[in-house]
Amino acid sequence: MSHDHHSVVVPAPGPEFVPHEVAHHFNTPVQEFQSGKLGFWLFLATEILLFGGLFAAYFYYHEMYPETFVQGGKQLDWKLGALNTSVLLLSSWTMAMGVRSAQTSQKKKTLMFLGLTVLGAAIFMVIKYIEYSAKNEHGLIEFAHLFDGYNEATGQLSWFTDHDGVMAGVPHGHMFFAIYLTMTAIHGLHVVIGAGLIIWVMFGTAKGRFHAGYFMPVDLVGLYWHLVDLIWIFLFPLLYLVP
Amino acid sequence: MINFLTQEPQNPQEPPPWDGVAPPEIDTWGQLPKLASDFHDVDGLFYFTYAVCIFFFVLIVGVLAYSMVAHRRKTWDQPALSNFTHNTPLEVIWTVIPLIIVMIMFAWGFKGSLDMTTTPQAAKTNTYKATAKQWNWTFTYPNHPTPSFGEVYVVADKPVQFYLESTDVLHAFYVPQMRVKRDVIPGRFQSVWFTPHFTREHTGDGPRIETMHLFCAEYCGQDHSRMYAKVHVVEQDYFDTAPWDQWPADDAPLEDLVKAGEGLYKQQCISCHSVDGSPGTGPSWKGLFTKDANGEYVGRQREVLVGGAPQTITVDDAYITESIYDPEAKKVAEEPYVRNAMSVFKPDTIDERRVKGLIAFMKSLAD
Amino acid sequence: MTTQTPVIDAPTTPQAPREDYLNCSKGFMSWAGTLDHKRIGLMYLVGVGIAFLCGGLFALLVRLHLWEPEGMLFSNVDYNKIFTLHGAFMVFLFVIPAIPGSIGNMVLPLMVGAKDVALPRLNLLSFYLWLSGAVLATLAIIMGGFDTGWTFYAPYSIYTDQAVVTIGLAIFILGFSSIFTGLNFIVTVHKLRAPGMTWFRLPLFVWALYATSILQVLATPVLGITVLLVAFERLYNIGIFDPRLGGDPVLFEHFFWFYSHPAVYIMVLPAFGIVSELVSVHSRKPLFGYKLIAFSSLAIAIISFLVWGHHMFTSGQSTYAMFAFSFLTFFVAIPTAIKEFSWVATVWKGSVALNSPMLYTLAFLVIFAIGGLTGVILGALNVDLHLHDTYFVVAHFHYVMMGSIALAFFAGLHHWWPKMFGKMYNEALAKVACLIIFVGFNLTFLPQFIMGSRGMPRRYASYVPEYAPYHQASTIGALILGAGVALMVFYLVSSLFTGKKAKENQWGGVTLDWHTATPPVHLNFDEEPKVIHEVYDYSTLDMESLQRDAT
Repeated sequence: MSHDHHSVVVPAPGPEFVPHEVAHHFNTPVQEFQSGKLGFWLFLATEILLFGGLFAAYFYYHEMYPETFVQGGKQLDWKLGALNTSVLLLSSWTMAMGVRSAQTSQKKKTLMFLGLTVLGAAIFMVIKYIEYSAKNEHGLIEFAHLFDGYNEATGQLSWFTDHDGVMAGVPHGHMFFAIYLTMTAIHGLHVVIGAGLIIWVMFGTAKGRFHAGYFMPVDLVGLYWHLVDLIWIFLFPLLYLVP
Repeated sequence: MINFLTQEPQNPQEPPPWDGVAPPEIDTWGQLPKLASDFHDVDGLFYFTYAVCIFFFVLIVGVLAYSMVAHRRKTWDQPALSNFTHNTPLEVIWTVIPLIIVMIMFAWGFKGSLDMTTTPQAAKTNTYKATAKQWNWTFTYPNHPTPSFGEVYVVADKPVQFYLESTDVLHAFYVPQMRVKRDVIPGRFQSVWFTPHFTREHTGDGPRIETMHLFCAEYCGQDHSRMYAKVHVVEQDYFDTAPWDQWPADDAPLEDLVKAGEGLYKQQCISCHSVDGSPGTGPSWKGLFTKDANGEYVGRQREVLVGGAPQTITVDDAYITESIYDPEAKKVAEEPYVRNAMSVFKPDTIDERRVKGLIAFMKSLAD
Repeated sequence: MTTQTPVIDAPTTPQAPREDYLNCSKGFMSWAGTLDHKRIGLMYLVGVGIAFLCGGLFALLVRLHLWEPEGMLFSNVDYNKIFTLHGAFMVFLFVIPAIPGSIGNMVLPLMVGAKDVALPRLNLLSFYLWLSGAVLATLAIIMGGFDTGWTFYAPYSIYTDQAVVTIGLAIFILGFSSIFTGLNFIVTVHKLRAPGMTWFRLPLFVWALYATSILQVLATPVLGITVLLVAFERLYNIGIFDPRLGGDPVLFEHFFWFYSHPAVYIMVLPAFGIVSELVSVHSRKPLFGYKLIAFSSLAIAIISFLVWGHHMFTSGQSTYAMFAFSFLTFFVAIPTAIKEFSWVATVWKGSVALNSPMLYTLAFLVIFAIGGLTGVILGALNVDLHLHDTYFVVAHFHYVMMGSIALAFFAGLHHWWPKMFGKMYNEALAKVACLIIFVGFNLTFLPQFIMGSRGMPRRYASYVPEYAPYHQASTIGALILGAGVALMVFYLVSSLFTGKKAKENQWGGVTLDWHTATPPVHLNFDEEPKVIHEVYDYSTLDMESLQRDAT
């Protein structure tokens, strides 16, 4: 039996673009787009549940040691946090504009907006670095000793020296910073991954692969970026604004 | 790198901790050990559910077996006898009846559990403490200062409560004949209560003692299966003689002290220290002492770390006593002992008399 | 249900090999880089098959060691490692991925009338993630193994000086393999159904895989974050599960079981799907209560998220928690019971063919009755306080996981084997193996109920001597079971080399998978099927071609 292999092709809207060949098992480009979108939303659901576990841990220990979380939150600079929030919100807007530009086959504008989004991600990570450095300096998260373990005899945790004594008087002061580090680092990892995905899409855009007839990857990466933003919107008040 | 299925560490070579404990009698229907507490609802609900299960099992298997024979496909083109895909009365019955049955089971079980988790006042005034650690049990009594190791005495027909604490990982306190089980969680206090009863006729002349199994029922590492204790149900009079606190008096003959020391060794020390030289979590006690020409015990020399710096010391009573109460003070400077941590024993768990007994036992191993 | 596509009428001469998905391309890369769901399904089959045999080997070692009360073969530490490996391998490398990955991949697109799954590259990625997880798990063994039990309870899993981070990473990766498979199946069922294939014309295996996929997507991430948190605890002492640092070990249990209870339904729902298909085909009768069975799968999926606490009744829960978890546990028994009764009603007054797939299916129905009913016994709060962490629980879950799920997997293998390979195995040997497996299985696990209710705790390297007769009976049963499985592997594998050519429609099935060539061509269907009949409508069976096949 022959492979009745007629591929559906979406023509390019202009000379700077290339046509898109629909994958062989789909009948129409719409079917391909809807499948990709449904699949991606399901993937985003798994990300939400992954972070959900972290939020559950946060709420549990906030309930158990409220003073620790209030005191810990005071050690964070809410202004830097707010700045990061604005940066991400703005980058979500530039991302949405990038998707719109791809949808309307505007190659240059797509590249510009995507580039601005990556810039936003970079600024976010720089501010994050500044925050982490501050924690490091105050002995609240000493990164050099992060993996050096817990001394059972002395009760000393290698990375939490708190030499300024800001967490004295609250139970298990390290707990806030451990959870803060875990949640923001995993979120930061997703920011970096998102930026990487956007750069990948920028390459594809430069080659003319994305246009009104086929912009699914831009759309889906955009969704990913919005999720990364959304998670931060929840992280920020819980960690920074509690006091 | 490939160190799976190695032979280290060795298992204790001695008879198991349950050696000599008679197995419990089994109840009439054969599935449960004879009940020794008042939690009859457990047995009642267990057998009720069992009966229901057997009923449905017989029903299902019966219908299938009949169908396998009567409705067998005999020729390749034989169609089904009937193509029915619904039968509303049947569907309603087989939904509603099981629903009613399971709701009965739920309610009965819930009531029974409330009973088991609500400690009556009588038990609260008779509170013991059970301390679980890898891999043994220590029991503290309400009105007696000396704890017992690996066994506990309770008075028949008197409600008792146990506070449960763990000094390291998860364990569980499980006495099958009492039908009680509760996880022992480090960092938390839990409690469990029951009223122990005798289940056997009293035979013989001695005091009436019925010994039951206590198992650890939450996996806790290497010797989880050896973390056993004996529950002795006794009469009040016998209990009042504090049978667990029968440490030889100071003027007792030496062999009694050695024997008592050996008994304590088997309860508290054997999981980490061998006596025949084989390696364990802790160093072997073989060769600690030797006998000189006059038959006097002389301690050998060994390398230890004092504050991290190596030092050669001579084994003596003071060193052994210090190592029990403060194991980090002088650690044996050998792998893997230098990396392992010994549990700290406090004087209220192992008092000076008991330390002397352990030392006497160690000396009795001298070559 | 039939299609307007003619049944493949094989115009070629009997000797000329037709082009099918197995021979249409050759070479290592045509398999390693394949996007064909059928080839991916076969690769999964080989992988999970090997994992199953490894897990079974560990099980035999466990049972042999327990022949004697003091333990016959290993030191305590080594025994603890072996039972842990048995659990970890079986759960994460076999029971969770096997049916969706192998049979599901092979059959789901065929059943909905599609050319492939919706996201073929993701499908291949799922397989490589499984393989990576398997490699890491093997690495963990080489690094010395781990003895925490497959449940990795804290704080022991945090303190113990073993390869916990490695196996944790393996499980994280395996989790994503599972998530992506589920994701793929959901999109396939939503978007790639052939014209006329409405939701209520879908075969019940598809419904079962759909419900499973929802669980895979929603529950598995929680396992992912849990193993990650344990790894972080070990790496930099967060403290959330470590009581020395203010953490709560019971929080770990909540996190773990929030996934692992739905996980058992991820394991069993596909098995239910296979049973639904097989009782219909081999009774040549439509499923009794199709919609009930379909909806009960969804109901089970949803309720399964609400009962995780029944694994923790002895941890000192509040009265409210105990009430809710016990109540819902009994509740989830009802849709399961409805399924069991519906299957029995499907067989009743059918045209019951006692071939090997059906024998495995009937064995399932008997064994699952016991497994499910003993779960009800464990749902009662006060009874559970006595039975928790004893061999009664071990027997219960082996009745469901081994006796039911594995047996359904075997049944499905036997049923779709001719379709997948175009070859038939030795039917007489298959019947013998089924009997040996049935006897061996029951002899292994029935005594465990008895000693469990009599107090024998689980995860014990040595035990009180009064349980010895039960342990010994169980060990003999395990050896018999092992022999049966070995026989099964033997005749299945040899059928690939010396088996008779299978019939085009070996069993007289009417779902779309039986409307493909045997074995199917690369793109499954020559023309897109158009569905005009209801599912399980055996009046559409092409009796002439069946007769041709029979002679």
